[in-house]
Amino acid sequence: MNTQVSLDIQVMLETQGLCKYWGGLKALDGVSLQFYDKQLHGIVGPNGAGKSTLLNLLCGHYKPTHGRIMHKGEAIEAIKPHAFARRGIGRSFQKTNIYPGASCLENCCVAVQRRMGGNFNLLRSRYSQKVLDEIASDALDKVGLGARRDQIAAQISYGEQRQLEIAMVLATAPQVLLLDEPMAGMGHEESQLIIELLNRLKREYCIVLVEHDMDAVFELSDQLTVMVDGQHLTTGTVSQVRDNPRVKEAYLGQGDEVF
Amino acid sequence: MLFNKRTERYFIWLFFPLALLLPLFLEQNTFYVSKLTSVMIFALFVMSLDYLVGRCGLITLGHAMFYGLGGYLFWMIAPEYEAVNFWVYTFYICMIAAAVALVIGFLVLRTSGIYMIMITLAFAQMTFYFFSDSIEFGGNDGLFIYVKPETSIFGLSFFDLDNPTHFYYLCLLSLFNTLVFFRLLIRSRFGRVVDAIHENPGRTTALGYNIFLFRLMSYVIASALGAYAGYLFTLQYGFVNPSMLAWTTSGSALVMSILGGMGSIYGAVLGTFVYEGLHYSLEHLTEHWLLFMGALIIAMVMLFKNGIAGYMEKLLEKRV
Repeated sequence: MNTQVSLDIQVMLETQGLCKYWGGLKALDGVSLQFYDKQLHGIVGPNGAGKSTLLNLLCGHYKPTHGRIMHKGEAIEAIKPHAFARRGIGRSFQKTNIYPGASCLENCCVAVQRRMGGNFNLLRSRYSQKVLDEIASDALDKVGLGARRDQIAAQISYGEQRQLEIAMVLATAPQVLLLDEPMAGMGHEESQLIIELLNRLKREYCIVLVEHDMDAVFELSDQLTVMVDGQHLTTGTVSQVRDNPRVKEAYLGQGDEVF
Repeated sequence: MLFNKRTERYFIWLFFPLALLLPLFLEQNTFYVSKLTSVMIFALFVMSLDYLVGRCGLITLGHAMFYGLGGYLFWMIAPEYEAVNFWVYTFYICMIAAAVALVIGFLVLRTSGIYMIMITLAFAQMTFYFFSDSIEFGGNDGLFIYVKPETSIFGLSFFDLDNPTHFYYLCLLSLFNTLVFFRLLIRSRFGRVVDAIHENPGRTTALGYNIFLFRLMSYVIASALGAYAGYLFTLQYGFVNPSMLAWTTSGSALVMSILGGMGSIYGAVLGTFVYEGLHYSLEHLTEHWLLFMGALIIAMVMLFKNGIAGYMEKLLEKRV
């Protein structure tokens, strides 16, 4: 049984010696990681560890200085930013990034329409295809925003906007979810909602989660990576990482209180 | 519904029937018919700019390049002493302008914001000096169009372009069609992506759209319609002139668009009529009309945050 399960685990996304330099600053320095399908891979590290840089490279927003990004065995570091999303690599942003003036449904419709075709159809009404609305609605239901369907995105609460952002990523039918601090600035109850959501989603997608909320990361992660100063420190299961003396020393300092 | 704003529906029901009936009362006075025609032509031009600036967020100060191009293209491709078909040449001119816009847009749209304003201005000025300095194109004086096109479709001719009233109706029809076209465009799937890009380009890229292509397409469409307006202008007055290409033409169109309410499309018509109306009435009152004109424009822009259309919407949509 167990071997059967482990055979199903597939490397979805992989980095090989990934580097990003800003002039002399090494924001990311030779990071090699593997992200598996249907697993949640947490990434933690102090400020400036290169977590967001890593996500920005993985979604094509930045071009790496050196190194490779492999998606299902194909090198993709040279393709255009929008092509990453087309390959099924969706991301949410640290700072809420939605269409504030449009309804929640419309926000998701933009995400769905990309793969439905007809984006250069100049005359066909955007409301003409019921299926499109339904898929967008489903994405909203999935994150628990079904009741906010027709509300303007700027008028829903901050926590709901974060949920909406995840719904938009889901609406693109991704394989990989790159989530940059989805719980940033949230209250405890709102965070709990997101944790539940991610617990459900990680059975379906390959999720890369950058998060400051340690409790959440420990609860959710199948794999956990610790980064320090743009470098990869260690990767393993949550308990492996916790017991790693180098982690305690380098990252946590007097971090016993955190564990 | 295609016209989803109540204010816009009021505008359409008020403006177009009125414009339709007006020539009946002005039968004796071709001056006013011609004047209104030229305002409508410019309103069409402003509409195409309004789409670019207000809907796509692409601020250009070189749109007059296509206005002038519409005129010069007609002179270039039409035989000098022979009446050509109006509709066929409309198609030719729009297509050639679209091709030019494709090339220029490809370069211009790599920039954005203030840089885009500068580079569009640079292209427009290049075109301006090219035409105003070359003897073959009549230099500063421009060129005359000796024969106006005929407008038959399958042997049926509804408009005689030498008749000011006929020409008035042709321009009114063009204005209405353009308004409907832009409404369809905005409501379309393409329009959804354009709206998304305008509101949040970074997010739209992250969702997998190549935003450059959508901007290029919008630029091409608006430019082709801008050229159509210039073509109509040339046919009305029977000449082309480098002043059509001048940056002041782009500038006043931009002012009219802002005055009317950017991105509302029908606001472009309002803005153009108010601007030209003020221009006309002040010009007759005082020699220093520009001074008063400027003050009034500043006052109106400050008073109406989202232009005249925005102000009217605020008044009328509240009760919904």
